[in-house]
Amino acid sequence: MSAFETIILEKSGGVAWVTLNRPRVLNAYNVKMRDELYEALGLIGSDTDVRVAVFRGAGEKAFCAGADLTEFGTAPSQAIARQVRFERDVWQRFLSLRQPLIAAIHGYCLGSGIEIALCCDIRIASPEAKFGLPETGLGMIPAAGGTQTMPRMVGLPRAMEALLTGRTIEAAEAKRTGLVNRLSPKDTIFADAQRLADEMAGLPHQALAFAKEAVRRGMDTTLAQGLDIERTLASRLAGIVA
Amino acid sequence: MTRRFVLYETQGHVATITLHRPDVGNAIDETMAAELREACRAVVEDDSVYVAIVTGSGRHFSITDPSARQPAGQEEFRERRVTDALAAIPKPLIAALNGDAIGQGLEVALACDLRIASDKARFAIDQILHGHIPWDGGTQRLPRFIPRAIALELILTGKSISASEAKELGLVNDVAPAGDVLTQAKALAAKLAAIAPIAANYVKEATAKGMDMTLEQGLRLEADLAVLLHTTHDRAEGLKSFLEKRSPNFAGR
Repeated sequence: MSAFETIILEKSGGVAWVTLNRPRVLNAYNVKMRDELYEALGLIGSDTDVRVAVFRGAGEKAFCAGADLTEFGTAPSQAIARQVRFERDVWQRFLSLRQPLIAAIHGYCLGSGIEIALCCDIRIASPEAKFGLPETGLGMIPAAGGTQTMPRMVGLPRAMEALLTGRTIEAAEAKRTGLVNRLSPKDTIFADAQRLADEMAGLPHQALAFAKEAVRRGMDTTLAQGLDIERTLASRLAGIVA
Repeated sequence: MTRRFVLYETQGHVATITLHRPDVGNAIDETMAAELREACRAVVEDDSVYVAIVTGSGRHFSITDPSARQPAGQEEFRERRVTDALAAIPKPLIAALNGDAIGQGLEVALACDLRIASDKARFAIDQILHGHIPWDGGTQRLPRFIPRAIALELILTGKSISASEAKELGLVNDVAPAGDVLTQAKALAAKLAAIAPIAANYVKEATAKGMDMTLEQGLRLEADLAVLLHTTHDRAEGLKSFLEKRSPNFAGR
């Protein structure tokens, strides 16, 4: 796989690891990282050997502390900013991956960081991890899906509070409210994520992909249509297995 | 407009709407409903108001008056409904639940964005006990706010839950001693009023409206609003202040 500057993409067995790798700036998400993630997600999506992907941050302090604000305000116009947002749509690409995605979160997980984590299917966090969507404090709103993925994960009232106040959410609260699925000590979080990824990679991959698809598409439509999607996928799977 | 059953005051960028019919637990009748809708319009129209608080006078936030006549016919329902007017406010709304929120009172709380509750308060959607169904948004908002199974239980049984149960469910964001609820709500309102108001309104819009759309549509709404914010003074100021490591001076434009 190609070499990147701001991320590391590794593959072992059926598991791909994506490490956000700008530790000196708490893995802040910048334009370069956007382009490289876009490419890496494309590679993962088309690689049938990758059964599960895990995302994490490099260094001691952070998963990702948010967007790199030093690059903000450089778009030549609003029209172009909007065009670029949809042309290099990392977030749609994230959400359309068929494989299960795990976020292994230690340290700061703010702004774009929590938005990356919310694009994943399972979140594991270390007890000192800190979450938040501080955008409004800077006169902005989240632009990587946070206003959509957060309420879908923790419910509207809790999401509205996080988004309006920008306050920090500690790992224990994140666990209690379902923002993260489980807590794991900082020393072992990556090993624990690897174990979970290996377990899932050992399951029938088509069943995993269909289960993910049924849940994701089903939550986005009426119950009747969701049940149809489930039936169609289940019988397609039966056909593949038989 | 002179109001009998709704008090309205503004302080700085925060408006406080008080349901004021304490002798009947602030039960909402036709007059109060009309006054509350009018207060909502005042919040919308006053550009200096960034955030609004809704609270109740006396012991209760708002409870059901069992002796009140149920509306009959479309026209009467329209006259008694208030949550459409509350939900139409684009600015952040805080419910300061100083006491029980029962029936339509809970529906009012659900039409706000954030809820702070007294530790003594109880919550119920009790219309079923009076032979009715909720008609001010309860059957729609409650299952969207808390797990569906629990919402259905509350709607079908009319049973009440405590503030701490409500907190566990995420139905209220915070619980405070009864006497401190309004103070805490005002402190929270001051915090929200200090952020850029256009960003606060847009984040509310993207989050609330987005839940009514497919994920893909919601993502497009969010992206469009985020780009639209590029045109505001406050976004530029927010960035500048961050890079200069100082507090921002937002101007509301």
